[in-house]
Amino acid sequence: MRDAFFDALTALGAEDERVWALTGDLGIGLFDGFEAAAPGRFLNVGIAEQNMVGIAAGLAYSGKVPFAYSIAPFITSRAHDQIRVDVALARANVKLVGVGGGVAYGTLGPTHHAIEDVALMRVLPNMTVLTPGDPVEARGAARAAAELDGPVYLRLGKNGEPLLLPEEPFAVGRARVVREGGDLTIATCGPILGEALAAADELAAGGVDAGVLHFPTVKPFDVEAVAAALRRSPLVVSVEEHLDVGGLGSAVAEAIAESGLPGTLRRVGFRDRFAHEVGSREYLLAGHGLDARGLVSTARALAA
Amino acid sequence: MTCEDLAGEAHEARRLVLECALASGSCHIGSSLSLVDVLTVLYRQVLRRCDAFLLSKGHAAAGFYAVLARAGVIDAEQLVAGYCSDGGVFPGHPERGLPGVEITGGSLGHGLSIAVGRALAARRDCDGARTFCLLGDGELNEGSVWEALALAGHLGLGNLVAIVDANGLQGLGRASEVLDLEPLDAKLDAFGWEARVCDGHDHAALEAALAPGARPVAVVARTIKGYGVDFMEDELMWHYRSLRPEDRAIVFEALEGSRRAA
Repeated sequence: MRDAFFDALTALGAEDERVWALTGDLGIGLFDGFEAAAPGRFLNVGIAEQNMVGIAAGLAYSGKVPFAYSIAPFITSRAHDQIRVDVALARANVKLVGVGGGVAYGTLGPTHHAIEDVALMRVLPNMTVLTPGDPVEARGAARAAAELDGPVYLRLGKNGEPLLLPEEPFAVGRARVVREGGDLTIATCGPILGEALAAADELAAGGVDAGVLHFPTVKPFDVEAVAAALRRSPLVVSVEEHLDVGGLGSAVAEAIAESGLPGTLRRVGFRDRFAHEVGSREYLLAGHGLDARGLVSTARALAA
Repeated sequence: MTCEDLAGEAHEARRLVLECALASGSCHIGSSLSLVDVLTVLYRQVLRRCDAFLLSKGHAAAGFYAVLARAGVIDAEQLVAGYCSDGGVFPGHPERGLPGVEITGGSLGHGLSIAVGRALAARRDCDGARTFCLLGDGELNEGSVWEALALAGHLGLGNLVAIVDANGLQGLGRASEVLDLEPLDAKLDAFGWEARVCDGHDHAALEAALAPGARPVAVVARTIKGYGVDFMEDELMWHYRSLRPEDRAIVFEALEGSRRAA
C-alpha cells in the first residue's frame, strides 16, 4: 500500500508543478522517485510534525498541493491543532498522509498504532477522510486526494497488503459493495477489508449469507449505501482497525439511526483500550476480536 | 512617507484601536497598541507587491485591523462597527479570508511555520518576494516556533523575516519571570538567523531593521505594551481589561497627551 502510494505521488509530482512532498524525517528511500520527478519540491522538515503541517498550509496558501507524510499517529495527533486551524478551518489544500493506520506497526507498540486517527480527522469540518482497502485503491486515493480542492487525510496501511478489489476509478464519498449478501452486512474500511472478506467466506460455509460493504471514504460518509444495505437486511456488523467510537462504526450507527429504517448494529473495533499486548498486527487483531474469526463469532451471534 | 506622516499614521491607527475597544468592550488593547508602530512602518515603508505579512499573535487583532484600515485595505467605519460585535465581520482574532488577512490567528505558535511554507513557495515562484511574520515574545514559549526557527535557519531562507513584538509581558506576568528566553538575539543568531534588536516605536530604526539580509532576519522590536496611553503602558491588566463608554474622554485625552509629549 505504501509503495503504491509513492508510485502515485511520484507520478503526480511529474505531472503537476503544484505538487510538493513533505516528510517528518520518515520514509527512507521512498521519496527518491519523487525528488527525481519533481526537483526542488521535496522537503524533509526534520522530526517536527507541527512545523510540517504549518509549512504545508503555507505552501497551500501559495497555490501548491502539498502532501505531508508521517506515521499516522504523529501526523494526526501530534499536529492536531495545526490541522484544525491552519488546514481545516482555512480549508487549505493540504493532503495529510498517515502510514501505519490501525495497528500495522504492531510490535512497535501503542505509540505507533493509530486507533483514534479517523475519529480525530472525521470531526473536523472541511476534512475528507480516505481509507483505501488495498494497494490499487491506495493509488487511486492518492490521485483523488490531489484532484480534490481541500483538506484530505489519507490513511494507509503499511506494505504488502493483498489486492482485494477490482480496479476502478476512486470515487470520493462512495462506498463499494464488494460482496452481495442477504442475511447481514459487514461494513468496513481500510485493509481490514481482508478480514471482512475472509469472515464472509466462513459465514457462507456455515449458511449465513453476509455482504461486505467497503468504505474507502469515511468522510463524507455514504449514508445511502448504509440505507441500501438495511433494505437487504437490518443486521450490520462494522469492523475497523480503530477504536469502536468516532470512526466507521460511529458513522454507520449515525447513518442507521437517521435512516428511518430498522437496523441492528454490532461495532467491532478496539473497545476503549489501547493495544498494549506485544505482537504483530495479526496477533493484535485476533486478540481484540477484529480478525476473521472474531468477526464470524460476532456475526453469528447477531444473525442467530 | 516623512517621519511626521508616519507618526501621524500610527497615531490615527491608535485612535482606531481605541474606537474599536470602546465600541466592542473587548480586551487585548495593550497588545494592539504595542505593535501599531511596527505595522505602520511595515505597511507604509516596507511591504511591496508579492510580499506577504502574517500576524501570528492574533490577539492583537485590533491593532492589525486598524493599520489595515489606515492602509485602505479595509474600511475604518465598517471596522469599528463590525469588530467583535454580534453579526460583525472582524473577530477578536483575525481569520484567513478577511481582506488582508493571510492566516487565522488565535492559537499561538502557528504563524512562523506557515510563513516558512510561504517563503519556500515564493523562493521558487516570485524571486525577491519577502514573507514577514509578527510574533509576540510570550508566543515564543510555544515549541512549534522553535521548530520553524530551526528549519528556516537551516535552510537559510533569506526572504523570511520574523518580527518579535517584545513588550515583555505575557499571560500571567513579565516574560522574564514566566519563562525567560533572554538573551533573545543570541538565541536567534544561534538558530541561524540574523537578529536585529531595535526600539519598536522608533520608525526609522524599524525601517532599517526590516531591510533584507542574507539569512532569515529576526527583528526583536522592544516595545511597550499599551504604548500611547499612559495608564495602560507596561500594565499587564490591560491585556484583559476593557474600556467602558464613559472612559472615552480619559483614554483619548491620554492618547493626545502622549502625542504632545512626543
